[in-house]
Amino acid sequence: MKMAEKPLDRRQFLRRIGFAACAAGLSAAAAAAALRARPGQRVWQIDPSRCVHCGRCATHCVLKPSAVKCVKDFSICGYCRLCFGFFRTDPLSLDTGAENQMCPTGAIVRTFIEVPYYEYRIDEDLCIGCGKCTKGCNRFGNGALYLQVRHTLCLNCNECAIARACPANAFVRLPAEQPYFVTREGKPPV
Amino acid sequence: MKRACAIFFCGCLMLAHAQPLRFPPPQFETNYTRPTTEFPAAAAAWKDWADVAALAGALCLAAWFVLRLRSRTAVFWLSIACLAYFGFVRHGCTCPIGAMQDVSAAFADRDFRLPATVALFFALPLAVSLLFGRVFCSGVCPLGAIQDIVLIRPVRVPAAVQTGLGILPWVYLGAAVLFSSLGGGFIICRFDPFVSFFRLSGPAGALVSGGVILAVSTVVGRPYCRFVCPYGPLLGLCARWAWKHAQITPTTCVDCSLCRNACPFGAILEPAPSGIEERR
Repeated sequence: MKMAEKPLDRRQFLRRIGFAACAAGLSAAAAAAALRARPGQRVWQIDPSRCVHCGRCATHCVLKPSAVKCVKDFSICGYCRLCFGFFRTDPLSLDTGAENQMCPTGAIVRTFIEVPYYEYRIDEDLCIGCGKCTKGCNRFGNGALYLQVRHTLCLNCNECAIARACPANAFVRLPAEQPYFVTREGKPPV
Repeated sequence: MKRACAIFFCGCLMLAHAQPLRFPPPQFETNYTRPTTEFPAAAAAWKDWADVAALAGALCLAAWFVLRLRSRTAVFWLSIACLAYFGFVRHGCTCPIGAMQDVSAAFADRDFRLPATVALFFALPLAVSLLFGRVFCSGVCPLGAIQDIVLIRPVRVPAAVQTGLGILPWVYLGAAVLFSSLGGGFIICRFDPFVSFFRLSGPAGALVSGGVILAVSTVVGRPYCRFVCPYGPLLGLCARWAWKHAQITPTTCVDCSLCRNACPFGAILEPAPSGIEERR
């Protein structure tokens, strides 16, 4: 009975001290974080000028299929009849037969425009980001095909699994307002 | 001769620079127009804030269920809902456990951008834990919920083992803070055992280790939470001195040890020997 009459026993007193210490620590940390915080989020992206088309974007993303897709810059495309992004190096014939195509999923759509030009479009639902077409286009063509992280798919992991595996250190973090390299030569906006 | 060669070589280089395209883009005679490439924008910021609101709401609900309703069923269904949303809909990101590394990285590196939403994800469960105990673990955390639903027959872990393995979270916490602040990577995210289940895909190692932990958690209650989770020590520290948390009233307890035997997580300790308080 005597205990209950006491205004504050020792256990309660220690608990209050602990609570106050924790609260003070948490608010100090929050204040420090608020002071240090920089506004704006950053998102992962591939710098096309550094990309070596190794194919790890298709295999190392935490998503299956990868959030990396092939992107086409139509303004510099040569509309070649023999496109090295579309055809294997030893095609049997220059048509859309599966045995002639470089793309493992047939994600590139080839349509005739006029003699001798053909249009190549990427079907991003089929694209797995393996970079075989971008390799051919960059080695032998204009480099109109390049790989980009699609931010409708990307989870923006703390530590991008592809960036960790990238042999060319091509993964950079861009501001979320400008999350793409819009042209192959485009410099990263800072 | 050498000079002529040099001039020729430089000329070739300049020519190559002036014409970077091997095949000039064609001028079409038909009325074909070049399509433009679409660049869909990154996910809108309001979605992150919606997640923060969902976290805050779930934490309040969990506190209410635990302290007022005193309903284990309600907490369980809340945790299932949170598993569905934070786990399978949002793919386990952002999570407060991983957000800890962002915060420590932001303290170490001035250039690191720490979004306010991620900072809140780290701080909200700690603040609620300081007020109402670890209701985040019981009702909100998707990693805990996925272990809870497979728990069939919990066995009691010997006290010595529990204490010994209880050191591991502190070691993991220290390692995670060290790695993230020194730029060595985000090891909590890399070795998260359940995130590949949430995404329904992942490396074989992660799937196997997640499967093993789930198999263990059919007989041992929440092994990841108790013996691995690096966020647990911080929450526990806050909950130890919480303002109000679920507790057993010492004056009315008859020490029947029903609750101690029923607790699958070994969280209820034997009461201190009676008589000490009277002697004082």
